[in-house]
This record gives sequence, structure tokens and C-alpha cells, in this order.
Amino acid sequence: MSRPEAGSHHVADVVVVGSGAGGATTAAVVAEAGFDVLVLEEGADVRQGEVVPFSLEQMDRQYRAGGVTAAIGFPSIAYTEGCCVGGGTEVNSGLYRRPPEEVLDRWRTAYDIAGFDTAELYAICDEVERELAVQTVPGAQTAPSEAMRRGAAGLGWRHEEIPRWMTYEHGTDARSGRRRSMTETYLPRAVAAGARILSGHRVDRLVLDGGRATRLLATGPDRRPVTIDARHVVVCGGAIQTPALLQRSGLRHRIGRSLAVHPTVKLTARFPDELNVVDDVPVFQVKEFAPDLSFGGSASGPGLAALALSDSWARSGAAIEDWRRLAVYYAAITSEGRGAVRALPGLRDPLVTYRLTTRDRQLLGRGMARLALLMLEAGATEVHPSYRGAPVVRSRADLATLAATFAAGRASLMTVHLCSTVPIGDGPRSATDSFGLVRGTSNVFVNDASLLPDAPGVNPQGSVMALAIRNARHFVDTTKAAS
Amino acid sequence: MPTFPPRGLVAEFCEQVVASDLPDLPPDRRDVTVAFATRRIAGLPSPMKLAVGLVAVVVGGLGRVVGTRRLVGLLASRPLPIAGEYVRLVRSLTYAFVWETWPDTTRSGRPLDGVTP
Repeated sequence: MSRPEAGSHHVADVVVVGSGAGGATTAAVVAEAGFDVLVLEEGADVRQGEVVPFSLEQMDRQYRAGGVTAAIGFPSIAYTEGCCVGGGTEVNSGLYRRPPEEVLDRWRTAYDIAGFDTAELYAICDEVERELAVQTVPGAQTAPSEAMRRGAAGLGWRHEEIPRWMTYEHGTDARSGRRRSMTETYLPRAVAAGARILSGHRVDRLVLDGGRATRLLATGPDRRPVTIDARHVVVCGGAIQTPALLQRSGLRHRIGRSLAVHPTVKLTARFPDELNVVDDVPVFQVKEFAPDLSFGGSASGPGLAALALSDSWARSGAAIEDWRRLAVYYAAITSEGRGAVRALPGLRDPLVTYRLTTRDRQLLGRGMARLALLMLEAGATEVHPSYRGAPVVRSRADLATLAATFAAGRASLMTVHLCSTVPIGDGPRSATDSFGLVRGTSNVFVNDASLLPDAPGVNPQGSVMALAIRNARHFVDTTKAAS
Repeated sequence: MPTFPPRGLVAEFCEQVVASDLPDLPPDRRDVTVAFATRRIAGLPSPMKLAVGLVAVVVGGLGRVVGTRRLVGLLASRPLPIAGEYVRLVRSLTYAFVWETWPDTTRSGRPLDGVTP
């Protein structure tokens, strides 16, 4: 992939801010249509294989703030953001789901999104799935994945293997896959079409003149100031950084007020046999209670297992000495709560907040209890829920104690799916038009997870990519027609 | 150049949390672990860093009065809404680091791989 020299001033037809699932697809579509595209990425360029997936080194090099970020609330919710060339696609689980039809119907109706055609979006999904080689594991599953499947089957709960964007050229088992992330797919396409990528460049602010962005002010490597002039700006920094940048630029109308996430609770299950997988996550998910509740597996290396056990270390800490028999699982909910992203004067990073509803708190408790039951059915000898004062669950009789002692405020909540901070549509709650043009501007677009009107209840990357490609094509068509 | 949160205060607090929770962690490992946690806290997003810094200053001041070791013990046994989150943050960082770096470690921090504490 070509890398232009970092300079103090650049000019482009279209500047794309961010290089993740939204930015990379935007850059490819727009560059292939003949536009001069410059991609600005805040994070570093780290290639696959340079770091162990889900390790602290990966968090240091490819996550924002080393992975230590949280939406403040009671309780706070830890989240992670990819911050590297390729964005979150370089570090996430690689699980792929199309946006469900009923979700698309809800978005179209509730947010009055024009030209939001399910058939068109699913045709784009077909393209994305071919490009990313979306498929199920051709061979053996990992043991933690198999445990989840076994537990669900034993309880008669609906479960399924979630396909991933992976190729299996050097084996067929789950761990032999190679990620088809953005640095392997859409970014090389963009570069082949002439796009330039500058990593290590943080955009601080857009300079606006009468609703038109005339210049971007950025900070390059070594903190050098960089300016960029562009005819069009497409902001794809993700659901936290995109609204923060727009707010720093003076754009605030309905921006950053409607953060949606899938909050999760976790537990650690101890099995009779060794099963821990350090560098991969299970691909089975349990959908018996979807869309309200979904169960899946987390990264479970010994460091992350210790983290999951840390809330009840006095009771559960001894389990870490047997980490090879441990695996971490989660229960995710579709939340009715909402959060906010606020750029604050004088502070480099935005303040992120989130408030759970009473229903969310109850649902998290139900999720934790059902997940513990699922693990017992899978053969776990001990289940260690991640909340302060949690009991060690060894049989179904202990589930009553779990239900009685669980409180969301005691739990270590986290999420990896952030969206909806700049919602799309022509309705009264939307911050852009139906194709991502920010209200009150004539050349500033958003094209990432921020646009999703709410959390889709499934892994959102497929939804983000489909929407981004749709919007990028509309941009190309309308811009060419206008000129 | 002074930093916020003050590195010395954060490092002292981290050291006491590690000493309290993982008393058998060898000193060289404890130093590396504390350095890791301190570095991560210095790299927090600015609003979090501001909040943690304020708590660190208050906790550091109280520690001067009652003793940091005693204060850490109190906070560990009676989690308070805000100071408790500080303890939780330090624990999550240090535990993740210790067991990723030296997986075969007992819950008290003693190496299981033959290294003498």
C-alpha cells in the first residue's frame, strides 16, 4: 500500500476522515469513481501478524487509549475503539451479520430514510460478503465455541454459528483463518484507484464558512500542524470520534445525543478439560431470547480471564491458577438506554456518558442468570459471574443466589458495539439527510456507525458497510451529475 | 514537567493495591506492573484522566493522613462509589498485565514457574 510523505499541507477532491468499515469502503467507492481521495487516519499502520490478537500489545498499538475507555454512568460501561489503519475491523471478532430485515424496516419508517431499499442494501451485502469472503468455519471449532453450542443444544435453545470474514488457506480449523479486514480488502482497492492514506494524522477541526467546509486542521506525527483543503469531507471516525469532531467544528444540531450500545455482562466458566484459547473468540451465539438478549464468547487469554475474575477475587481468584480450563462468555442486551458524546472546551477527548433504563438493568440480570445456566449445561464445574459479591455457581441451586445478589451497578459492564450518534434520515430525530449529509452543511458527510439509527441487535459491521457503500455511491452519482 | 494525574501519586497507589492484592508478586514484577498501570492511566482519554486525577489527589491526600496501605485496605473492603472505581481501574489493569505477562502465577502473585520470589 502506498504511503505519501507526510507534509504540512494537502489538497484533495474528497477527504475521508477515518479508515475503518465506513471510511475504507467510502474511499474505495469514491476513488474507483475517479475522485482524488485522501484518507486521514489517526492511528498507526499495523499489519496483521505483527501483534497477537486480543493482547495488551494489540491494545497498546491498535486501540484508542490502550483500550481503557468508558462511558461514564451508574454503572459506567467500558468500551473499546480501534485506532489504527483499518479501524475496528483490524481488532474485532470478525463476526458478520447482515442487518435484519425488520431492523431495516424500523429504521426506514421511524427515521424517514428516503431511498432506503432493502433489496438494494442486501445486494450490497452480497458484494461485501464476496469481497470479505464471509463464511463459516470449514473445519473444527475451538473448544470454547463447542462448549457454547453444547450448552445451548442441551437446553434446546436456538443457537447458530455466526459467519466471519476470514479465509482459510492454511487449514480448516477455526484458528487458521486470516482476517479479511479493511487493510486486506477495501483500502488496497482504494489505493489501487489512486487514493492516498496518511496514518498518524488526527483531524482536530473542520473550518466552516457558511455551512461549507473549506479546510481541515489536523495534527500530524510529532505533533506537527497539518492543513488539508478539500471539496468534500466524509467523516468516518466511528460513533465516538465522529460526533466529537463535528462538535469541535461547531456542528451540534442533534449530534452526539443518541449514543446506542449493546451493554454486556460477563462470566468466567471453568471446565473439567483444558479449553482456553488465547488468540481467538467463539463463533457460536445463542439467539433463543433475541433480540433482547444474546449470548456469545469473549477473548479469554489469562490476562482477560483474570480481569473477568477481579470483581470477586476473594471467592474466584483461585480459579486463575487453572486458567487453561477457563473461558469467558458474555450476555449482551438490546438496550433502551441512551448515551451522549460531548466535546468539552479545553479537553482533547470527548466526555462519553450512558444511562441504563430499569428494564436494561433487569435484562442484564436475567442475561447473567441464563448465561450461567447455559454454562452449567455445557459442563462447567464452576461459573464465576463478573460482579462484586458474586457467588460461585456450581449447580442450578446456586442460580437463586445469583439472581438475588446481582445488580447492574455492581457489575463490570462493557460493550464493543457503539452507534447512532449522528443518526441518518429525513425525520425530526436525524442529524443528517437520508444519505449522510450533515444538516446545515453543503459538503460535510458522515458515513460510519454513527449513522445507524439505533443498535441493530447483531454485530453491526455488516450494517455499517452496506450503508456506507450505498451512501458513497449516491455521493458519486449526485456529485458527478452536479458537475 | 508536572503531569496530571501526578505520576508519583498514581504509582504509589498502584503499588499499594498490588502489594495488598498480590503480596507474593516478586518485586521486579511488581515494579513492571506498576509502571504499566501508571502508563495506562496517563494515557486515559482526557475527561477520564481528569476525573481519575482528582480522585488520585484526594486519595493521595488521605493516604498521607491515614497511610496509603491502610487506605487501600479500606477501599478494597468497602467499595465507595467513586474511589472504588479508582481501585477497580487499577486492579483491572494490574491483573490483566500480570496474568498476560506471567500466566502461571498464583492468585497471590507467586510465580508457579520456579522463579523464586
